Amino acid sequence: MADIILKTSRLNKTYFGKVDTPVLFDIDIQIVRGSFTALIGPSGSGKSTLLNCLGLLDPQTSGEIDFDGKLISAQNVNELAAFRNAHIGFIFQFHYLLPEYTAYENILLPCWIRGGKPSPETGNEALRIMERIGIEKLKNRYISELSGGQQQRVSIARALINKPKLIFADEPTGNLDRESGRAVLDLMAELNRENSISMVMVTHDREVALRADYIYELVDGKLCKYLDVSRLGKTAAAEAIEDRTCMIDTIE
Amino acid sequence: MKGKKNRYEWMIALRFLIKGKGQTLLIVLGIAVGVAVQFFLSSLIGGLQLSLIDNTVGSAPHINILPADRIAKPLSESGANSDSRKVFYEERTEIYSWQQYVNDLKRDSRILYAAPTANGSGFIERGVSVVPVFVKGLTAADGLAIYKIKEKFVAGIPELASDSALLGKGIADRLTLAIGDKFYLRNNKGDQVFLRVGGIFDLGAAAGNELVVIAMDMVRNFFAIGGVSVIEVQVKDVFAAEEIAREYGRKYERVKLESWQEKNRELLTALRSQSASSDTIQFFVLVSISLGIASVLAIAAVQKQRQLGILKAMGTTNRSASKIFVIQGFLLGSVGSVLGVALGLLLAYAFLAGTGVVFGFEINTRTLLTPIVLALLASIFASTIPARRAAKLSPIEVIRNG
Repeated sequence: MADIILKTSRLNKTYFGKVDTPVLFDIDIQIVRGSFTALIGPSGSGKSTLLNCLGLLDPQTSGEIDFDGKLISAQNVNELAAFRNAHIGFIFQFHYLLPEYTAYENILLPCWIRGGKPSPETGNEALRIMERIGIEKLKNRYISELSGGQQQRVSIARALINKPKLIFADEPTGNLDRESGRAVLDLMAELNRENSISMVMVTHDREVALRADYIYELVDGKLCKYLDVSRLGKTAAAEAIEDRTCMIDTIE
Repeated sequence: MKGKKNRYEWMIALRFLIKGKGQTLLIVLGIAVGVAVQFFLSSLIGGLQLSLIDNTVGSAPHINILPADRIAKPLSESGANSDSRKVFYEERTEIYSWQQYVNDLKRDSRILYAAPTANGSGFIERGVSVVPVFVKGLTAADGLAIYKIKEKFVAGIPELASDSALLGKGIADRLTLAIGDKFYLRNNKGDQVFLRVGGIFDLGAAAGNELVVIAMDMVRNFFAIGGVSVIEVQVKDVFAAEEIAREYGRKYERVKLESWQEKNRELLTALRSQSASSDTIQFFVLVSISLGIASVLAIAAVQKQRQLGILKAMGTTNRSASKIFVIQGFLLGSVGSVLGVALGLLLAYAFLAGTGVVFGFEINTRTLLTPIVLALLASIFASTIPARRAAKLSPIEVIRNG
């Protein structure tokens, strides 16, 4: 049995409004610790919503989320906020950095929220991460002075600073040109390997998805495919993605 | 997680304010101008009122204790039957047991001075001129103190000797009397006494400067007064005079007590309506400050919605999110109001220098702190509107809408 860090059972999400819109239906997924998992599916399939639910940003309508053996979905808003701060990192399509702060300060913001003024050691850790990611020269630049690729790297550094167990990424390269997109992906793959941080990434790019260890495909809010890329091999996995039929039974 | 105090909300609030320079400056100026107006107004009107009250009763008795009734009563209804030659002065024109009253009054710690006074009307004769004067017989201690004669002395020695008189500046000027000059004082029966000018005082008011002040016992002898004409009382708290007068009025049945407030109803009404209108203006200034802060912070909350969503995604709690706005309100309020009071002080001094008015501003801890505290409270109160909005914001709203 694989070491599971995150598990959902019968997760449902409905947006309530004038017309209620059900988005996710009975989702059961498992994220293996230290793995790189891709969430794919056509647009409107609910993959971003699923990611936001898993990341505890958007409360599910029903169902449970089990994080590292803890039933996290039962916690209240403030407990969830503290949990996100301590254990989860986010990287979004748009950088979501604060324009009032420099790159370095943005990276340290989660530490501020966690426990006030960061210690010198934490400051050094931020510098070390910046160096690893190759943005040490941008330390004192404000966000508006950075390119898209640089902004995304700052986001990655910020996601790493509190040493999270899980990083959720929603189309992190969607807003970048091909070259910087590839560089960011390479970086994320490397970080995943180096630090054995579990990563869950939403992408609509099948090529990107094939770099993952596991792939979940969503169609119309339902789980359609689950692929263990390392076992199937890339070619078989690519063929499986092309196949239009759902093969949800493959989940063990 | 908890442990040591986390003040990151301050850090973020401060950064938001610093980075929103223009907006911050505008609102701080707005608060400052409001507070300056409020401070200027309250200290100006406070100063004006203090000087008016001081002019009225600063060097005058606050309570007069008078003989029970000095008005002659009309003849009885059946006037024909009564003896028309009979004098109908059944009221007493003097206070005979004044010493008891004075002793009793002096035991009260609220009372500063209690001075028996004998008054009379006479004439001063000098050369060919004869001038009617009001003669006041005072005691050396309390009497002189009530009229602050020592402080308002122009020339001579402020003492009551047996052969000298202290003259108001008006009468002295009119009769060209200087220190050491001698004159006759005559009473209504034609008796006269030869007096030396011992000193000249200037009470500032026309009536006061027509006074001739001599020792009380001399007045009693000269005008044949058995008791005293009035007991003049000065109290510590000017505004308590009416209440104290009422209190002693119940106790003393045979005399009449009159407070300065009773004699100056119109002045008091004027002062009160002035205070009321100034309070009204100040209230609306405060309301407009609050509205200004509330609207600017509400706009800021909308502008910072994205940042707030990001902060919340990273773990900022609802409470911290609203704290960020309350802190901004507090910072804006404190900087703005302190600046405002400084501006108000500047304005007050410029006003004094520019117009050359005679009264001063009432500048004390109360007039200085009240506008600061009020503006601060208003700022914090105004910031609760965006604060509530910030608490309600869900991070997913921002994330989903990009």
